[in-house]
Amino acid sequence: MLSAALLALLAGCNGGRQHAADQVIVTGSTTVQPIAEVSKEGFEKAHPGIHVLVSGVGSSAGIENVIAGTSDIGTSSRDLKGDEAKHGLVDTPIAYDAIAVIVNPSNPVNGLTKEQVKAIFQGRITNWKEVGGPDMEIGVVNRDEASGTREAFSKIVLDKERFDPTAVILPGTGQVRSVVAQAPSAIGYISLGFVTPEVKALAIDGVAPSEEAVVSGAYPISRVLHFFTKGEPTGLVKEFVAYVLSPDVQDRVVREAGFIPVTARGDGL
Amino acid sequence: MTPAEETATPRELKLMSRSTYVKEAALKNLFLLCATMAVAGVVLIFLFVGWRGWPVFSEVGLARFLGGAEWLPTAGAFGILPLLVGSLVVTLGALALGAPLAIGAAVFLSEIAPPRVRSFVRPAVELLAGVPSVVYGFFGLLVIRPLVADVTGGLGFGPLTAWLILAIMIVPTIATLTEDALGSVPEGIREASYAMGATTWQTIWRVLLPAAKIGIIDAVILGMGRAIGETMAVLMVVGNAPVFFRGIGKPISTLTSQIVMDMPYASGVHRTALFGLAIILFLISMGLVALVRALSRFREETR
Repeated sequence: MLSAALLALLAGCNGGRQHAADQVIVTGSTTVQPIAEVSKEGFEKAHPGIHVLVSGVGSSAGIENVIAGTSDIGTSSRDLKGDEAKHGLVDTPIAYDAIAVIVNPSNPVNGLTKEQVKAIFQGRITNWKEVGGPDMEIGVVNRDEASGTREAFSKIVLDKERFDPTAVILPGTGQVRSVVAQAPSAIGYISLGFVTPEVKALAIDGVAPSEEAVVSGAYPISRVLHFFTKGEPTGLVKEFVAYVLSPDVQDRVVREAGFIPVTARGDGL
Repeated sequence: MTPAEETATPRELKLMSRSTYVKEAALKNLFLLCATMAVAGVVLIFLFVGWRGWPVFSEVGLARFLGGAEWLPTAGAFGILPLLVGSLVVTLGALALGAPLAIGAAVFLSEIAPPRVRSFVRPAVELLAGVPSVVYGFFGLLVIRPLVADVTGGLGFGPLTAWLILAIMIVPTIATLTEDALGSVPEGIREASYAMGATTWQTIWRVLLPAAKIGIIDAVILGMGRAIGETMAVLMVVGNAPVFFRGIGKPISTLTSQIVMDMPYASGVHRTALFGLAIILFLISMGLVALVRALSRFREETR
């Protein structure tokens, strides 16, 4: 802990990329966290004496860190926005992430259109009977604005329009999932990788969320996970990025984390 | 120092040896330093929060900040009125539920419980204070919330769930201080009451509670401070929708939970506005402490 903090401090003082030659600092999206964590273990095992420091601080903070030079790699579950694009960051896509719209397994509704999902999250549809379900008030569970998942959901499903301001807001994927698992009337959204049998993922526009559907582009609510580096990755950072893109990580780690390998497409993007 | 030397300079008898003097002085300064650190901490935090939050009054405007009905940072609306109302609703409801509970527990511990029961109940009450608030939050989210949802409909996020959780959380604060207040009522007053033929209930209701009144009000105000400042547990059960109170089962947000929800991504005016919220919280706490101090002074004067 202490040594990690010291190393990070050291990295900060050196203005970033010229810091100690035996470490790689990876910060950013909590969605990318499982991939980064397991990759770290494999990479450190293959390169004794090398340390990879991973911390999940959110996409925005990760991008901020890599721009400031306090991280080598900023992981993100969203594209660069606004001023972030002006700092010469290089984007390496590392996986696909689809967002599943989840309901309680007791809910008879199995699918919605993207328009219906949008209307529900904007508070224009408020009862399950309006979308073919029982006469039950819809309990909308939204994420906080710091969430990369919300950012993606807002962009893809709501076209950046306003969420219903009276909806419940919860600060984590785990909380959203456990509430939806408990409450028969609830609807929420989480990364497909975190869907468990205690919740039901809805088909959107008739397409059930599956790997094939995400890779083929048929499933409408999906996004790309990124590694951002300041300039083309070099040295150890380059090796780490290459390791994450290797079949070892892509076919094993990425899949086990519930994401879809970027190599699944065949063209390596 | 030999006895001969001591008699030679009698005045030095009153003085301590040099090493003792140094030790004493060092200790005095050490404690002074401790006290200074505590004060410096408060002052520095206040200055920092004030420095970061002050611009909100010019950038957003006092009226639009304090009186605005919409908290929509991404749209540039920074009205804290719904949050202020939310904090008040949550705090007052928690007090209404928690204060009688805590005062009842304190009366039981101080006046009724046999020593063996007391030696079991008192640590249990004190233990409540040691439970981390995130644990209260999880308990509220997974156990209380579904029960509330059955009663109010909806998902069970909102003031009622927050009241129930906070009511438990403020019990140790209010109960401990109320017990102290009851304990400081002179034994003679109790004896006089019983000697007049009063029952236990009459003694508690007509004699002890009025005698300890100011101390109990102190306790309730400090419990209020605890409730209004509580963040994590409230954040997990209140729903965090920055809108006006619409019912005990509908999501609202509070000053503290909004700061935590927004801080990770806030920048610019938004961040300044969050420090503005912190200033408001600071002023509320200061007001409560001032109230307690004024009451204590009143208590001492009337004694």
